[in-house]
Formats: sequence, C-alpha cells, structure tokens
Amino acid sequence: MYDNRASESAVTADDIKIEAKRVNVHYGTTHAIKDVDVSILDKTVTAFIGPSGCGKSTFLRCINRMNDTIDVARVTGDIRIDGEDINDARVDPVQLRAKVGMVFQKPNPFPKSIYDNVAYGPKIHGLAKNKGDLDDIVERALRRGAIWDEVKDRLHAPGTGLSGGQQQRLCIARAVATEPEVLLMDEPCSALDPIATGQVEELIDELRRDYSVVIVTHSMQQAARVSQKTAFFHLGNLIEYGDTDEIFTNPKDPKTESYITGRIG
Amino acid sequence: MPFYWTLAIIALLCAAGYVLGRRKAVASVGGDKRRLHSLPNFYGMNVALKGAVPAFGLLVFWLIAQPLFVEWRVSSIVSDLAVSEARDLGLVMVDVRRVADGLDTAVATGTMTASEATDIAAGDGNVRERLGAAGVALGSEVSEPVLRAAQRYRALSSTGDTLRSVAVLAVLLLGLGWAYRETDGEFRARNVVEQGVLALLLGAACIAILTTLGIVLSLIFNTIEFFSIYPASEFFFSTTWFPSFGGGSSLGILPLLWGTLYISLIALAVAVPIGLMAAIYLSEYASPRVRGIAKPALEILAGIPTIVYGLFALLTVGPALMVVFGDGGLGWMQAGTAVMTAGLVMGIMLIPFVSSLSDDIINAVPQSMRDGSYGLGATQSETVRQVVLPAALPGIVGAILLAASRAIGETMIVVLGAGAAARISPNPFEAMTTVTAKIVSQLTGDADFSSPEALVAFALGMTLFVLTLGLNVFALYIVRKYREQYE
Repeated sequence: MYDNRASESAVTADDIKIEAKRVNVHYGTTHAIKDVDVSILDKTVTAFIGPSGCGKSTFLRCINRMNDTIDVARVTGDIRIDGEDINDARVDPVQLRAKVGMVFQKPNPFPKSIYDNVAYGPKIHGLAKNKGDLDDIVERALRRGAIWDEVKDRLHAPGTGLSGGQQQRLCIARAVATEPEVLLMDEPCSALDPIATGQVEELIDELRRDYSVVIVTHSMQQAARVSQKTAFFHLGNLIEYGDTDEIFTNPKDPKTESYITGRIG
Repeated sequence: MPFYWTLAIIALLCAAGYVLGRRKAVASVGGDKRRLHSLPNFYGMNVALKGAVPAFGLLVFWLIAQPLFVEWRVSSIVSDLAVSEARDLGLVMVDVRRVADGLDTAVATGTMTASEATDIAAGDGNVRERLGAAGVALGSEVSEPVLRAAQRYRALSSTGDTLRSVAVLAVLLLGLGWAYRETDGEFRARNVVEQGVLALLLGAACIAILTTLGIVLSLIFNTIEFFSIYPASEFFFSTTWFPSFGGGSSLGILPLLWGTLYISLIALAVAVPIGLMAAIYLSEYASPRVRGIAKPALEILAGIPTIVYGLFALLTVGPALMVVFGDGGLGWMQAGTAVMTAGLVMGIMLIPFVSSLSDDIINAVPQSMRDGSYGLGATQSETVRQVVLPAALPGIVGAILLAASRAIGETMIVVLGAGAAARISPNPFEAMTTVTAKIVSQLTGDADFSSPEALVAFALGMTLFVLTLGLNVFALYIVRKYREQYE
C-alpha cells in the first residue's frame, strides 16, 4: 500500500526512545516473556509480530505498565523511556500512561458523547485552560484521528453509535488528545474491515511524524506496509529484531523465515 | 375407599404401565433398541403420563366440585329453617358441617355405631352430649332440621367419595390402555413426552400468573365495595385519618402517604450512599479475598427478618436517638418511636439490597472501558467516577427504584419503630405511620368486614400496589432502555 523505501527516507531521528533490557513477565506460574531486550526508536513505527500467545501484547502492556492492573502479573527487568526507568518506585504509572498512550484491540469508546470521549484525557490532565482551548484540542485530535469530517456535525452524539472503524479512529483521536510521546497499538485493526483498516494505517503513517508508534499485529502484510522496524516474538522470546525490509526479505533466524513464509504460526 | 388409597393405586398402576409400555416397545422391534424411534424409557413414560395426567386432573376437579355440589343439595333442606329463624344461611351451614364432622369423629372413635349415626334423631337422647363424649364440642343443642341436614351431608359425601374413586380409576385404566395399545416401535414417544414436559412448565407459569391476577382481583372488588360506601374524594384528599368503628370516621389517605414517603425517603437517603459506596469498594478496590468474605457478610443483612429490624429500632435505635434529640438533649423528640428511627433502620435493611444489585451491575461494565481509561492516564477514582459509574448508572437507578418499592411496602419496622399516629408534619422526630401499618391495624381485631373502617384496608392496599407497581415498571423501563449501551 505504501512505499516503504520512500517513507523510510523521511525518518530523520535515529535516537532511542524506549530501551528494554532483560524483561521477564510471569502470569501466576506462566512465564510469558523471557529475557527480552529491545530498543525502540523515536519517530518510527515498530511492529511486533508473532503467533498468538507469543507475548507480543504482554510486552506492549509492559511499556505503559498496564500489567499493573492485573493482579497475577509480575514484571521484572529494566525498561527506560528517554533514559528514565519506568518501573522505578518514584514513577507514577498514571503519569506514565499520560505520556504513553494506548489503543486497544477492540474499539472501546466510553458511553459518553464523541466530544466527551476526546476531551476525557485533556480534562483529567488539565491540558486546557478554558472551554475554547478544550474545543481546539478536541478538534485537533479528531483531525489527527482522520475522523473530524465525519463527526463534526454530531460531536454530542454518543461515541458508541459510530461504526466500528469510526469508533477505532475515535479511540486513536482520544489517545492523541493527551499529547503522548509514545503510542502503543494492540492489534488496532483486528476488528475492522479492509477499508477502515486502510484508513487507520494511513493514520499510523501520519502519526509517525510526531510519535514513536509501537503496533502489535497479526497481519504480516500490515507490518510490512506500516512499519520501519519489526520484532518477531515466538513463545515469549524475541527471536529477531531489525529493519522491516530486512526481516521480510532476508530473515536471519529460520523460525522467522518459517513464520513469514507461512510454514508456522 | 380412603383418599390416600386412591393416590397409592394411581401411582402403582402408573408404575406398572411404565414397565409394560417399555417392555412392549422393546418387544415390538425384536429387542433391537436401535430400531425404536425413541429411547425405551420414553415409551414407558408415555404410558405412565397418559394414565396419570387425566386421572389426577379428574381427581382435582372432583375434589373442588364435590363439596360445592353437596353444599348446594343440603342447603335446600335448611334454607326454610334459616328463613324461619331469620338466620344467615351461611351460619346454619357452618352448624351443619360441624355436626356432620362430629358424627364422623364419633363413628371413628367408636362412641357411635355407623347405623346410629345415620339414623339418630334429635328426639332420641341428647345428640350434643353424645358428641361431646366423642370430643366434639357443639355450641347449642342440635335442632331436627340441622341434624337431618348433617346426616344427608354425610350420606352425599360418602357416596361422592366412592363415585370419585371409581371414576378416577376408570379414567386411569382407559388412559393406560389407550397408551399401551398405541405403543410400538414406530410411535414417536419422545416427541409426545417432550410436549408433556412443555405443558407441565406452561402450567407452572400459568399458576404463578393466575395467582397474581387473583390477588389483584380480590383487591379490586373489595376496593370497589369500599368506594360504594365511602366517597373517593374524601379518601384521596382528606388530610385526617380518624377511624372509629362506631361510625363517623374520617379516612383520608394523605397522612398515611406522607408518612410512607417520608420514612422511605429517609431510608433511601441512608441506604443509597452507603450501599453504593460499599458496592464500588467491593467491585473496584477489594481484593478477591476480601470480596469473598465481605460480600456474603453484607448479604447476611438481607437475610435478617424485618421483625428483628423492628426490635432493633424499638430497643436500640429509638432510645439512642432519644439521648441526643430527646428531652435530655436537643428536645426535638418526644418518644423513641419516630420517623427518623424507622427510616434509619429501614435504611440499614436496604443497604445490602442496593449494594448487591449495584455491585453486579458495576461488575458487568466491560473491563475494556477501564483499560481505555487507565490507558489515558486516569487514576482509579477518576475511572470509577467518570467512566464506570456513568456506564452503570441506568442499572444503579433501577436498583434504587427497586429498593424504594421495598421501602414503601415495608411494615414491621414501621409498626415497631415509627409509632401509630397518623399526621402530616415536617418534623422527622415525630411519630408517624404508614399505609402498610394502618392496613394491619384496620384488619386485626374484631372488625366487621362490611364496614368502611375495615374495607378501607383494601383501598389502601390497592393504592400501595399501584404505587409500587408503577415504580417497578419504571425501574424495568430504565434498566432495559439503557442496558445495551456499551455492547
């Protein structure tokens, strides 16, 4: 869909945004992530691929400490965003999540109006000085979510009344509205049809200009289309990590090759 | 033949029919069960059902119809007597039944032979004394027509009982025979039995609905009777409640409604915030272990009989309030029984009601809503206040309305905690009373059931019924209308 080489040339920044070292996750007695080391670049789309249950979503949830909300999950290891340890006792997970936004697999708009859905984050973080300011933030976020034209006449209709693709773009707009630095997306297109998927992918490419985007996906074509870096997970291990072109055309590990060519997975 | 024997014979014959039907079906396909349309048990069940259902149906019908028939035949004997002595026919019939039962007892205990009981006349010796010796107390000497009517009553009843047994057994055998004849390998016994099960379930549902209908109808007829002897405008708009059985009473519902609503309001003001906060704690904050202990503990409150709450109000809460608000303290309260006492205790009673329902509703809010909110950097309390509660609100409103209809219908706490004075006053430390408490007091004691003072209870009950029904319908409407919102 998009020419990777062309978009890659647009990547200017090469600094590391997120650095993970020896990350392990246990769910009760299950060892879900085993010693994963990865460095995620700023202003880049990084795709996590791998068969179901390989730990890619779990690892994604480590980056904004969403695993804290699960009682049985235990995370060890070192994850740094801009050099700052996010598991440090002094880091407030609430502030961390404001900086690291997340979009989920199933669109989950709140049972509120479209406007209130987007204004939710800015309101709780006090980003708007007044009503007009908030209106601007909401409009900007909805424009970035590529949904403004469709909803500008019904901002006060319930967000749950939108179609699936619109709901997912609303959720992306909602995540963007809090001005995060990193955007985590957990299979954002798995509940969408091809047209809505195309719109969301276009949007992801847009977002790359300002954010570091990490996307978990089951579709290898999608990973190839939208990402510049790809990480392949298998049974809780990070098997291979590198440039997307490299992974898809010339994988080093035989497991990666089997997965990409469709022999396993 | 005694009644229980009939039952035993029906059960025995049905069991035999079951075995025979099953055997015949298996035999009809030469013992190869795979060639049967249904499993062998269904054939047996088909036979047993077709015997038992008509037989029991007839039995039940007969048990209802026979006393009516006998009563009708016997009452023609005593109706002249009732007219001549200017007595109520119903009262004479009560005498007749009592004498007939007395004769039965006398025969059963052996103080009278069976032929003596049928032939004894009022002139032959003292019937009252002889029955008294058998342990049957009669109020007055038995008159000749009553005795004759009683003897006729006994004769008709015993003939009826015999006929009943014969008829029921005949129907049973016919049913069993018919079902046995149609049994063979091709017969679709399973479908028939399934239909029988369906009819059984339908019957159970009908009984529940018809009972409700019966209750409502009995309320309606008595209410209509009340309004025919007491003006409706006075009932609904008079502000005094002063029943006097000597006549000239004033039966205005307004003071009672005021008491009901005032007490319910206080109860809800106690129960809703506490119950809701308990529910939020249990569903959002408590660890599974704490929740596993605290939720059942809270629900124990719901299992306490309301009379115990009433005692708690009378003995503990009332005196405790008196210490603060009574003459020794602020001086607002004259006695322990007051709106505030009843309202507080009723509120405690409603806490588990509100918390348990709300807890279920809050748990039903999808985890993805919470994840979405946490993912945006919201704290737990922000998530609860701005996402979870709004999503659960329709259900919570429904729970509160259901609690309100419980509060309006509550009786024992009010009887013991709120006092008995019907008055309209804004002071919550005064004694007041409610609709339910007054229904109790109007119908207990020696009320004449045709006086407006007793019949008013039905009008009160009807008002209450309409009120709580309206609340329940409204609650269901709210819950349904908004339920699908986050699916």
